[in-house]
This record gives sequence, C-alpha cells and structure tokens, in this order.
Amino acid sequence: MTTATVSRWDRFRESFFWYSFKRDKVAIASFLVLLAMVLAAVFAPLLAPADPYDLAQINIMNSELPPVGLDGADPAFPLGTDAQGRDLLSTILYGTRVSLMIGFGAVVLQAALGILFGLLAGYLGGKVDAILMRIADVQLSFSTLMVAIIVGAVFKASFGNLMFGEIAIYMLIFIIGVAEWPQIARTVRASVLAEKKKEYVDAAKVMGFGTPRIMFRHILPNTLSPIFVIATVQIANAIISEAALSFLGLGMPETQPSLGSLIKSGFDYIQSGSWWITLIPGLVLVVLVLVINLLGDWLRDVMNPRLYKG
Amino acid sequence: MTSPLVSIRGLEKRFDLSGSFLEQLRFEGGRLRRKQEAVHAINGVNLEVQKGEALCVVGESGCGKSTVARTVMGLLSPSAGEIHYGGQRIDNLEGKAALPYRRKMQMIFQNPYASLNPRMTIQQTLEEPIRFHHPDWSPVQVRDKIHEVMHSVGIDPDWGSRFGHEFSGGQRQRIAIARALAVDPEFIVADEPISALDVSIQAQVLNLLMDAQESRGLTYLFITHDLAVVEHFGTRVAVMYLGRVCELADTKTLFAMPRHPYTQALLSAIPKLEDDRPNHIRLQGEVPTPVNLPSGCVFHGRCPYANERCRQEVPQLIATDGGAQVACHAVEEGRL
Amino acid sequence: MALLEVKNLDVRFAVRGGDLTALRRISFSLDKGERLGLVGESGAGKSVAAFSILNLIAKPGYIAGGQILFEGKDLAAMSERELRKIRGNRIAMIFQDPMMTLNPVLTIGTQMVEAILAHRKISKKEARAIALDRLQKVQIPSPEKRLDQYPHELSGGMRQRVIIAIALLLDPEIIIADEPTTALDVTIQAEIMDLLLNLCEQENVALMLITHDLGVVSQVTQRMLVMYSGRIIEQGPTREIINDARHPYTQGLINALPQMGEPGARLFQIPGSMPSLKNVPSGCPFHPRCNFATDQCKRAMPEYVRSGNVDVACYEVANLIEQEKRMQEAES
Repeated sequence: MTTATVSRWDRFRESFFWYSFKRDKVAIASFLVLLAMVLAAVFAPLLAPADPYDLAQINIMNSELPPVGLDGADPAFPLGTDAQGRDLLSTILYGTRVSLMIGFGAVVLQAALGILFGLLAGYLGGKVDAILMRIADVQLSFSTLMVAIIVGAVFKASFGNLMFGEIAIYMLIFIIGVAEWPQIARTVRASVLAEKKKEYVDAAKVMGFGTPRIMFRHILPNTLSPIFVIATVQIANAIISEAALSFLGLGMPETQPSLGSLIKSGFDYIQSGSWWITLIPGLVLVVLVLVINLLGDWLRDVMNPRLYKG
Repeated sequence: MTSPLVSIRGLEKRFDLSGSFLEQLRFEGGRLRRKQEAVHAINGVNLEVQKGEALCVVGESGCGKSTVARTVMGLLSPSAGEIHYGGQRIDNLEGKAALPYRRKMQMIFQNPYASLNPRMTIQQTLEEPIRFHHPDWSPVQVRDKIHEVMHSVGIDPDWGSRFGHEFSGGQRQRIAIARALAVDPEFIVADEPISALDVSIQAQVLNLLMDAQESRGLTYLFITHDLAVVEHFGTRVAVMYLGRVCELADTKTLFAMPRHPYTQALLSAIPKLEDDRPNHIRLQGEVPTPVNLPSGCVFHGRCPYANERCRQEVPQLIATDGGAQVACHAVEEGRL
Repeated sequence: MALLEVKNLDVRFAVRGGDLTALRRISFSLDKGERLGLVGESGAGKSVAAFSILNLIAKPGYIAGGQILFEGKDLAAMSERELRKIRGNRIAMIFQDPMMTLNPVLTIGTQMVEAILAHRKISKKEARAIALDRLQKVQIPSPEKRLDQYPHELSGGMRQRVIIAIALLLDPEIIIADEPTTALDVTIQAEIMDLLLNLCEQENVALMLITHDLGVVSQVTQRMLVMYSGRIIEQGPTREIINDARHPYTQGLINALPQMGEPGARLFQIPGSMPSLKNVPSGCPFHPRCNFATDQCKRAMPEYVRSGNVDVACYEVANLIEQEKRMQEAES
C-alpha cells in the first residue's frame, strides 16, 4: 500500500502539472494567497479577535473607528469597526468564510447537476439530448440575478426576516447552483461527445458493460479536466453572484455578513468619511475572485489536452 | 460443411445523412419537398465464418468492411438482415440475453492509442471485464487469469499499475488483445488491428494473433486493407467494394487466380519488393460515393469489361469452377 | 558535384530537461534526376530529415551542426529571405496530408497562380496557363474546371495530384515527398506513385521519397537510406539493399513483411520497438533489439563500412568483411 502511495506521489512530482506549476510564478502566488484566505476563513473562530455574531461583545460606542494608522484608531480593532461597532477584521474573516462556503457549495451543486445532465445528454444523445439542452438554454436565458431576486424576495416574504437569516446561506447555494448548472452541463456534454467516439468506449460496449457503468466509470473520468477548469472559474462567479445579491439586500443578512453584505452595510457611510467599512471588504473580495480566476486560467492552459500530451 | 459459427445474412446498413424531419425539407423547383439522403454502407452482404478459420474482409476505404465488423459486434444495428452466432440470432438481443455472446465474441480495434481508457491502469483495464463476466470468481482466480493473458501476449505482469500512455503502440495493441482474450472468447473481430503500427511491430502483432488462434482455437473475422497481410493470415478472403462482396474465395485460390476485375486491380496495386517499377492495372475514375450508388454492378464505372448488362443488373455471387464465388457478369458469361 | 549534399547534419530538440538528438551525423547526397528513398519506422527521424533540408524545422527543433549544400550553397546558414527563394521554387515539397498545402478557402487556380507569382514576374494570364499545363501533366480529368474548384470538391487522390501539380509549377530541381500516398487507398497509391515516377523521369527532377513502405521504395527509387533512431544505418543502391540487406535492422524490416513469409507460418519479427528520443541506447541504437549485439555495440556507434556499393554502420558487418578479406589473403 505504501509503495503505491509513494509511486503516486512520485508520479505527481514528475508530472507536467507539477512542473508547470513550479515554473508559473503567478500560479504559485495565486495559490498561496488563496490558501491563506481559505485557511483564515476556515479557522476564523480561532483567529478572529472577536465574534461578530455574538451581540454581547459589541459595543455601539466603538462604531466607525478607523483602521490602525489613522487618527482616532483603536489598536484593539486593527482594521477599524463598522457602524455597529463590530471589529472589521473579524467580520471580514467570518464574511470570507460565508462567501467561500456559498461559492464552493453552489459549485458542488452545479457540478452534480451539470455532470449528471451533461453525461446523459452527451452519451444518450437524441431526444434526451435535445430536451436537456433546451432546458439548459431556457435556464441560461434567465439571468442568475433575476432568478435569485425573485426567489429571494419570495423566500423573504414567506419566511420572515428572522427565519430567512437562518436559511439564507442554503437558499443562496441553491439559487446559484441551480441557475448555473447549464455552464457545466455544456462543458461535460461537449467532452462526452468527443470521448464517446473513441474506441475505448466501443471496447467497453463490446464487453457488454451497461450504460451507467460506461458513462460513469469510463467516460466521466476522461472529462474531469475541463470540469475542473470550469468549476474553478464558477467558484469565482458564484462568489461574485452572492456578493451582488447581498449588496442588493437579497443575500446574507447583516447579522451573518458575507463579503457582499459587508460592502453594502458600509456603503451608506462612505459619504460620512468611513470609507474603510466598504473598501476593505471590497478589496478582499476582489483579491479572492482574482486569485481564483488566475488559478483557473493557469489550469486551463495546463489541462489543454493538445499542450498536455505534446 | 458443418454449420458456420457466425453467419451474416442479407446485411444492409444505411446511415441517415438528412437529420430530423425539419432538416429534410428542401425548397426545390418552387415547392417544398422532403429529401432523405443516406450513406449506403452495406448493401446486402452474406458471409459465413466457419469455426477455426480466419475470414479476411478486404477493401478500400468506404467499402463497408468496418461497418460489417461493427454490425457483427452489435456496435451498430443493421438496417436489414440478420446476424447469427452458433445458430442463434443475436442482432436483436438486448441486455442480459446478449451477455453470453459478449463474452464469446470480442473485438480488437484499429487505433491502440484510443482503445485503452487513458484513466485506467493496465490492471484495471484487464480486471474489469473478468470481474464483470465472472462475478463469482475469487480474487486469486481473477489475478491468475490476468497473469495468464498478460503472459500470453508478452506483457510483463509487473506493468499492471502503469497507464496505457506509458507504452508504445505495439505494446498497447498487445494490452488490447489481452483485454479481448481475458474473457476467453471463441470469436474475435479484428478491425485493422495492425494498420496503425510500424512494420516491425506489425509482424509481432500478427504472430501474436496467430499464436492465440492456435493455442485457444479462435475464429477470426479480420478486417484489413492490406492484401499482403491477407495472403499471410487468412483462410478465406472476401473482397468488398462499395458495400458488396465482389469475390469470396480461399486465400490460395484468390491469390493464384483472382477472377473479379476489382480483385485483379487490387492485387496488382500492392507494391512488391521484387518490382522495379509500379506495374498495376489502371482503373478509370475513382470510387463513387456510397450516397448515390451506381445502378447495376457497383464497379461498372471503373471496370474495363463493363457492358450494358453491368450497368443495369446487379451481379450475384456465383460459384466458379476454380472454387471462388464471384459477383461479376463478365466472369459468369465467360467474357473474362 | 552533387545537386544536394547533406554533411554531418545534427538536429536537436530543446525540451525541458535538456536537448534531444533527433538526427545525428546524417550525410547523404542527391544527384540531378536521381530518386532517393528515405526509409524508416515512425520515430526514426525521416520526416525531421526532410523538413530540415529546407530549414523548416519547427521550434523547439534546431539544426545543431553540419551543412546542407544545395548547388554548393549551405541552406543551414542561409537567411530566411534567401531560403524563401529556394523553397517551392528550386526545391518543392509534397506532404502526406494535401490539406497542409492547400488553403481550403481559395480555389485551386488562385493558389497555383499565387505560387507562381511569388517567384516569377509574369502576368496572371501566363501564370494561369502554366497552372493549366501542370494540371494536364498530372492527368487530372477536365483540368480547366479544376482551376475554379475548391480543395474540398476534390477526392483524396485528386487532391494529391493537385499537390504534385503545384510542386511542379516552377520546374524545381528537387521534389521532397513525405509519405505522399500513406493516406490513400492502394489502387490510388499505385497511380500516384506511377505518376510521380514518370514525371520525375520526364522532367529530370530529383526525388527524395520519404516512406515506411519498402515496396514503394523498391518500385520508385534508385538509391535508399535506412534510418533508425535518428541515424542512417545503411545506404546504397535500392536493388542491392532490398535483395541483400546488410544491416540486421534492414534485414529484419524486410523479412518482417508478410509478403516475405510462408502463408500461415510465423513472420520474422524484430523484438522490442524503436526507442524514443528521450532514451536512445548507447552505442549502436539498435543493439538492444539485435541478435548480433556484442559489448562493442553497446559502447560506441559503429563507423560506416563499405560492402559492395552499400555503406553500413554495423560492427557485425564490419567483422564479416574483415574475415572475408583475411580468408582471401590466406588463399592467395
């Protein structure tokens, strides 16, 4: 067993993937930044100086304190505080956590739906393909935001604000996941169409293997590279969608802020000079989305089959 | 003659080119009409494969030889006609009923670079079919079987944990053969199994196929465009042109005395080592597309012996005194 | 002086982990009107050799040493501008896939006229007349009509005829044909080869034919080179090599052909396969597959020895020649 794991690790270290990663400074930097942000978000309860969800820790007297280095700053709040007196560093750590959870969660849902429908459409073809792809077209012709606004408004109206706060994160994952599955389904379908013409699929058919086995065990593993690339980009898109929804007040409530709702909550105070409440979470969001997209670009270059096999 | 192992009866296969109903509508001559186009890949092929023989099907690209192979294996369903295996009709079987034949009939493909799943190790590639067809076997039995087939195709059993792309074309084709042999088939369809390989590797793979035939009592349906290989490998030969069999004979008979004008041209076109110049029978024109089949004998447009009857009437395979079956009016009438 | 003389040509590929040697010390010559066959299996470097003659090697490949003398001038040292005057004009090339040469969105006529005007200062009308003449030479039915057709309207065999016509446009001295019939059916292949051979004879054009098919080589060429792993291991008159190959690899290649075997019997087979450029064996690259290999073969690449009119790089052959000499001396 150990020899197998060692050889797998060795194989990885000798692979083109690892080789091109080592040589690409942008990829390394992006990966490190993302890793740091993910770790900070995951361990937010340990790292954050305060718990922004705990109302008892908040003192309204501390509201709108500027970050360290500006006049009137309090060293207990390195990035300053927001309008309610919450420590901005802590809220950003927690907010990143919420944003990442929604991003990953939505993409897992997208991938599950997209892979299933893409495989079915591509492999079975004919009517199944026509129906699934038309559904995908219809789905794509609604903008994600529009669907989310409608669903969000309905949810909010029917569950009330308090209840809505509790289910908001699941609702956002659901909305963004369902709205964007056609992106992945199309990618999967396109590579299934290319793969199913190859002789190894015929060989599996000749063996008498059933359709599900051929689809999931033989074809799916060969379509993973493009899925991986598009999933990365979709995480960034999901985080942006969530931020946009939250900014519009249809996303995470201010009691459990995501990066988007933090930006929104500070937006009202820009005129009064407290720009940091909006700007700092905004920067964090930009950096987060940027590094994910840079990694996605790099992945696409590496996994381009023509370059990869050469 | 004993009953054949595989028999192909009146096989036809058309591939529809015209798409859905809406796409078939054409505006022609001022009115809308429905136009259907199809590629006539096979147009009435009858072949019988006897147990233990290697029946070679030769022809140039587009003659339908690969379609015959794929239809026999059930990868394509025939537009008309039947496939029988050991007396049982198999082209209409589905699901569980087809499984026993999936084990008895196996296929080797042309392109060893595409016929192995790139995400599976050699071990997984060989193990899956064995486990699938013998769910009751113990792990030891499965392992022994894998070792046995790997050994018999000349692949080191220690290579099991490697992936297909780590091997050369010849080695991959050996692995593909091992996969086919792993389920102990009786009948193997080999679709151009050596044409993607280098000369020195072709010989290795041909020898391997012959060894397997001898030691396992296999029956082959061997598809190829290379007549030199046929002469070496085949028991009998069927020459195909535009979806029809134009000559069917014992290999010796066919090479000693080819009767059909197309067979003659094909034989003369093989570049031979003893030639100092190309000396081949010149044919007029080129192979017509299988979309609009010529009337009568499909070969008449290129045949130097064609007459009015050839343009009108489709020739049937007729036994000649030499032992060959030839579909040619000129041969039948004694003009040739 | 030979029309084309390649001397000690080295071609390498710069890849990660250092250079790979694709061609090592390739030397051969081509006389006016001569037909030379370049034989080898995939990975032997025969296509690289063809491309490097016109200095057309794509990155990461580069010519690392040696000379390519065309009428005494070194193509390897020429500027791109000077090379362009020779490519297509004095030395023409025919590829395996006609679509590599033909532009799918231009008519055959336009492409042929453009090719002529790139090298000759004549009117379009005159150029079109030349194009028509060449299409007639390659025996294309209704050549006038073809001039206005697009490549996709022609069949594979017809396209390859057009390619030959394009190669002939500017009366080149040399045609390099890289597997020109591999993608075609046997009957079409025979016709194209016949045509190419006749044209080269009529026009006194030298032909360098790259192929893996020994049958074609024996039908078409006068001299041949056998390549293995980037080296020429045997060269000489085609007939002499085909009838009596010296090098164990060439012997194996010929004997492995189904037409050489008894029907039903096992074919002669060379064990193993061509090494990849990444791990070329030391010494004679063929030694791991060779029945005659000795320690000497593992140490250094053998020098060429002459046997009859054939040059062979093989210690075993050298030893046999040596033995023969000694026997003759002993007799006298």
